[in-house]
Amino acid sequence: MKVDWKKIKIKDLAALVCRKLNEKDIDAVLVGGACVSIYTKNKYVSYDLDFVSHASLKNITEVLTELGFKRESTRHFVRDDCPYFIEFVAPPLSIGSERVEKEEKIKTRFGSITLLTPTDSVKDRLAAYYHWNDPQALEQAIMVAKAQKVKLSEIRKWSEKEGHKEKFDIFLKMLKA
Amino acid sequence: MLEGLFGNPVIEKIFFTLLVYNESYALGLAKTFEEPVNKFQQQLKRLEEGGIIVSRLVGNMRIYTFNPRYPFLKELKTLVSKAYEFIPVKEKERYYRKRTRPRRAGKPL
Repeated sequence: MKVDWKKIKIKDLAALVCRKLNEKDIDAVLVGGACVSIYTKNKYVSYDLDFVSHASLKNITEVLTELGFKRESTRHFVRDDCPYFIEFVAPPLSIGSERVEKEEKIKTRFGSITLLTPTDSVKDRLAAYYHWNDPQALEQAIMVAKAQKVKLSEIRKWSEKEGHKEKFDIFLKMLKA
Repeated sequence: MLEGLFGNPVIEKIFFTLLVYNESYALGLAKTFEEPVNKFQQQLKRLEEGGIIVSRLVGNMRIYTFNPRYPFLKELKTLVSKAYEFIPVKEKERYYRKRTRPRRAGKPL
């Protein structure tokens, strides 16, 4: 399938990267803002694709190089004609101090994407709000929670465990407003 | 003290400093420990890439803190705190007792 790198959608690029990695037996999970873009159908636009993988950066680099991406710094990859920036953040796959137990799979014409579930995507964004008071992250968490079915009781429990019950209440209030 | 574990004497200095002051920057570390700044820059970069610390720009200065989202932060801090207890008093006074409370600009030292 021919790829128009300038116009490729974030979802298609994520799927393409996942597929190429899987072909080399490398598992990677999409996290961060790209999940928000996908779950909100680009209501929030992200140009960063953050993956978590336990594979070596050497093996990951080989796959990304085949796709025409250059390793910019230790963990970043860019392609001149592509607007997206790919990063392999340091493992493990976690949200706060909690291990991610379940992943989501989404099929596209370019292959399947493995990504955080909508509930974990909300937690992931809330973690940035909880720890850094990032208002954009709070907005993104609300966007995902409005666009997708999420388990609020699970998010509440996790928030309490992380020590941020009060901020969870703010999130809930804004979500229901 | 933790050099054997971290494989590097600079790392424990960074960790002790972050534990005591919550934040630091490469030049500050270099001045405190009287060592070349690039030694600290390299290790700060490495720790940031590993997701253990995070940074933000304040003016021209890159300030580093422990990454509150690092999944093993609690355990790491427990280890670093334990090791910190074993630092001789003289060394603590020399490196980890800097004034952190505010001081009005223009006030004589």
